[in-house]
Amino acid sequence: MNAIELYLTLGIAVFLLSLHGLMTLYDPIRRLIAVNLMGAGTFLVMVSLARRSEVPDPVLHALVVTGLVVAISATAFALRLIIAGSKNDKTDSGGGNRKP
Amino acid sequence: MNFALLSLAIPLFCGLLLLLSGRALRTRTTGFIVIVSTVASLVAAWFALQEAAAAGADIMLNLGGWETGLAIRLRLSSLSALLLVFTALMHLLIGLYAGLSRDGIKRDYWALSCFLHGSLAALWLSADLFNLYITLELLGLTAVAMVALAGPKAYKPAANYLILSLAASLFYLLGVALLYGRYGELDVLLLAPRTQADVITRLALLLMTTGLMLKAALWPLHLWLPPAHASAPTAVSALLSGLVVKGPLFILWVLWSEVAPPTLAQQIGPVLAIAGMIALTAGGLSAMRSPHIKTLVAYSTVAQLGYALMALGLLLTWQLPQMHIALWLFVIAHGLAKASLFLAAGEMQSSLGTKRVDGLRGATQTVPVAMFAFAVAGGSLIGLPPSGGFLAKWVLLEPILSEPGNWPWAMGVLLGTLVSAAYIFRIVAISFDRAQINPLDINPDRVGHWLALLPALMVWGMALSGEWLIRLLAGGPV
Amino acid sequence: MTLSWTTLLPVLIILSSLIPGLLIFATPEAAARRRIILNMTGVTVKLLLVALMLAGVSRGFEFRFAIAFLPGAELVLRGDALALQFIALSSVLWLMTTIYAIGYLENSPLRSRFFGYFSLCVSATVGVALAGNMITFLLFYELLTLATFPLVVHRGTPEALRAGRVYLAYTLGGGTVLLMGIALLHSIAGTPDFVPGGYLTSLADEHALSLRIAFGLMIVGLGVKAALVPLHGWLPQAMVAPAPVSALLHAVAVVKAGAFGIIRVVYDVYGIEATTLLSLTRPLAWLAAVTIIFASVRALQQQDIKRRLAYSTVSQVSYITLGVSLVGPIAAVGAIVHLVHQGLMKITLFFCAGNFAETLGIHKIQEMDGLGRRMPWSMAAFTVGALGMIGVPPIAGFISKWYLATGALEVNQDWVLLVLAGSSLLNAAYFLPLLYRGWFRAPPAGGWHENNFAGQRLETHWMLLLPPLVTALLSILVGVFAGSIFSPLGWSQFIVNREFGL
Repeated sequence: MNAIELYLTLGIAVFLLSLHGLMTLYDPIRRLIAVNLMGAGTFLVMVSLARRSEVPDPVLHALVVTGLVVAISATAFALRLIIAGSKNDKTDSGGGNRKP
Repeated sequence: MNFALLSLAIPLFCGLLLLLSGRALRTRTTGFIVIVSTVASLVAAWFALQEAAAAGADIMLNLGGWETGLAIRLRLSSLSALLLVFTALMHLLIGLYAGLSRDGIKRDYWALSCFLHGSLAALWLSADLFNLYITLELLGLTAVAMVALAGPKAYKPAANYLILSLAASLFYLLGVALLYGRYGELDVLLLAPRTQADVITRLALLLMTTGLMLKAALWPLHLWLPPAHASAPTAVSALLSGLVVKGPLFILWVLWSEVAPPTLAQQIGPVLAIAGMIALTAGGLSAMRSPHIKTLVAYSTVAQLGYALMALGLLLTWQLPQMHIALWLFVIAHGLAKASLFLAAGEMQSSLGTKRVDGLRGATQTVPVAMFAFAVAGGSLIGLPPSGGFLAKWVLLEPILSEPGNWPWAMGVLLGTLVSAAYIFRIVAISFDRAQINPLDINPDRVGHWLALLPALMVWGMALSGEWLIRLLAGGPV
Repeated sequence: MTLSWTTLLPVLIILSSLIPGLLIFATPEAAARRRIILNMTGVTVKLLLVALMLAGVSRGFEFRFAIAFLPGAELVLRGDALALQFIALSSVLWLMTTIYAIGYLENSPLRSRFFGYFSLCVSATVGVALAGNMITFLLFYELLTLATFPLVVHRGTPEALRAGRVYLAYTLGGGTVLLMGIALLHSIAGTPDFVPGGYLTSLADEHALSLRIAFGLMIVGLGVKAALVPLHGWLPQAMVAPAPVSALLHAVAVVKAGAFGIIRVVYDVYGIEATTLLSLTRPLAWLAAVTIIFASVRALQQQDIKRRLAYSTVSQVSYITLGVSLVGPIAAVGAIVHLVHQGLMKITLFFCAGNFAETLGIHKIQEMDGLGRRMPWSMAAFTVGALGMIGVPPIAGFISKWYLATGALEVNQDWVLLVLAGSSLLNAAYFLPLLYRGWFRAPPAGGWHENNFAGQRLETHWMLLLPPLVTALLSILVGVFAGSIFSPLGWSQFIVNREFGL
């Protein structure tokens, strides 16, 4: 097993491990972290695929960069939502509808 | 092609403009601008459709003059042109409702709906697996933001929706990476002749399919949809159920009917078709039991997507490209009908002050127009002639019935029809109750009710252009 | 497509009830006069248009309107002789039922909704009659379901809603099965226009199995509305609907749409030759015979007047199916003429039952004692209808039974005579006690439950009294003048001559 294959396997393992986390965890922050780790696994796979040739494949690098941008902004958005949602849970625990 | 680009650029440009203008414009003005730009986009899409129909073949464009393989390549087929028209039309109908109904909508809706429109248009036109990923992400993020417009109560379902959507995108992205690693291509048309049925391709396709099915809420990965769609503001629910879930479905179709090698496609076909049949039944049964109006409508989306999934599965099983006509007719008919259902459900909820199905007692008297809209749109979901839903069902039935060996699949259509009739008429029957009428909570908004009826009338109007639509989707000159 | 009066007439006939219907929905509840004017204008225009078409068809004009719908299946409206038989019946009875309903629903709520759906229901029925191919037929057949549902649940009581759900479960289920049958047929032979003699004869050998299955599916789908046993369960339940609705459901719209569909399928889709070739006639005949006898026995067990009438409908409508399945020209005449005859007699009976209920609060058979003294006119009309059902000459029912019987002998199906005789005996057994109680028993000592219109010149509201008298008179007239060419019998001969190529 050469280095690239090792990284590939590692990437897949990270992906699967964090997928398991996503499916079993309940707390939204933890789930968000799990998703981010899935992303890390995916990017690891992509970067190691790019290393297979002598000249690293620029297309895959471009993809990883784009993917990272998307992941960061989405994570920020998700954090904002989760925090706002939990605040709302604390302040408004008894509210309900006017009618059943 | 220029018209198609225009149809894509107008909403994106309009969305950016609104974003930059910040709070300078009043909500009404914002709405007006968006509706005008949607009309413009619709007109452009219509011309693009004429162009595509006249060409009779796909039109390709490399953005920015790069060579094929590096450039962002766009593809205009008669299907993508039709979907452009459909997207613009849905945005127009729902935008009119959002702008003119009394409840109104938050200012941010308008910019977000522009981005949603733009990203969907880009999705229909993309011919590159990575571009498709970008549009998919844009679509998902915008959709989540729109769910959150409903206020603090929706934050939780919105966050859950977002996390699942991100995970699904990563599944897809990993699959794309594997395919690229195997073949060194991302372009759909360049990839198509090269794919082989080996382990890596299987794994990649499996990953992508899982992600896309999760995004499209296809059974058994549908559980996130009902809470997310039911908690969004009315106009947003209509957009989500009518349009957004169709995006990943489109990619799934491209993936399996073009990229995947036929041998693999034939293997997965029956699996998808059976999942579709289960979706029809299970989603329908959940809708039948749901105590809340909007949840019922959301589960009906899960069920109706089963038809599309079944059409896709059978298309792959039998390698019958013309089955995609049924698939896309279902998508369009369902989109229009579902828009009406959600708008009507939302209007009835606010007029009657109740979210529960029981609260609709006597609705034919208290909110007659909205209830009528619900019933008319429901008729198309059931597939009563001559609605759009019937058209789609008919096209799906033809190949099933032409071979005695295929007849068992007809059971799926039969079940789907009966189950949808059961949940639609569950609501309709309650609304005729005169023994214990639920009185109006507030004076109903007449404009809103009539606007809810509009898409339903259009889906029944599809019958008049049925033959034209079928020929258009068949790809030949019209 | 050139627009001429022969193209437009079928459309106009449908629009003549559709447009007033839509306008009525928009009419305020209080504007009773406007509603009546709209209704009556619609009826009058429709009757004139139907008369025009009748004259045209008897002179050999072709009335056909078509627009594109599905590949290989246009939406076609066509006025042929068979369609006219049904349209003429429904237009005339629509007039009567509208008058009756105006009187019946006087001062009750939600009349705009009621009359709106009422007109839609008639439009759908006329559409079923005018449909020129199976797809168009299916379209109007389903619309009919949708238009009648609000009428069935009109009262909005829990019982009405329950009946409505049962009605929908049966009819939508039937509609789906019918769709399957039609789609299967389409995949074999496409969907051309109805033609006398059918369009499947040349395919009967090659596709025998598929064609048999398609026939079975379509008969099940149509049998739900035609109330063939065991698909009749919805009909007695639907009796909770207001009396004019029951009258319309039983005599014209729903059950007749099913029976009419069976006529179309056997004569104009499969054709007599293919039906015989595929040996489909015998099972159909048995099904009809079983329905006739079983429903008559069930009718005998009912103590509620309307429910007894409902089972009687189940039984009588199957005469049509029976006549069709005998595939002889004389039996065919009996079947097609019974479409009209049963309609006239049954609507009379329902109008009268409604009058008894509205005027004196009578619902049960035991309560009918001495009714003839208090309401002689209604009771007389009821008697005409009941005797006609039994088959007493010269009332319409006798003509039907006579033709069915001679038709059966003509094709050597002697067992049918037994069915007819048995059914007539059962008819007598379940109708004569009612007549006996009405005419020969003394009125109850304690008076009636209610006593509306007491001491007035007429026994009940004139709008309730006029329609049954007219339809009773018509039931006698079509029997007496059966020999004339414009009687239902003469017209049925005309249809059958074309179908059988005589």
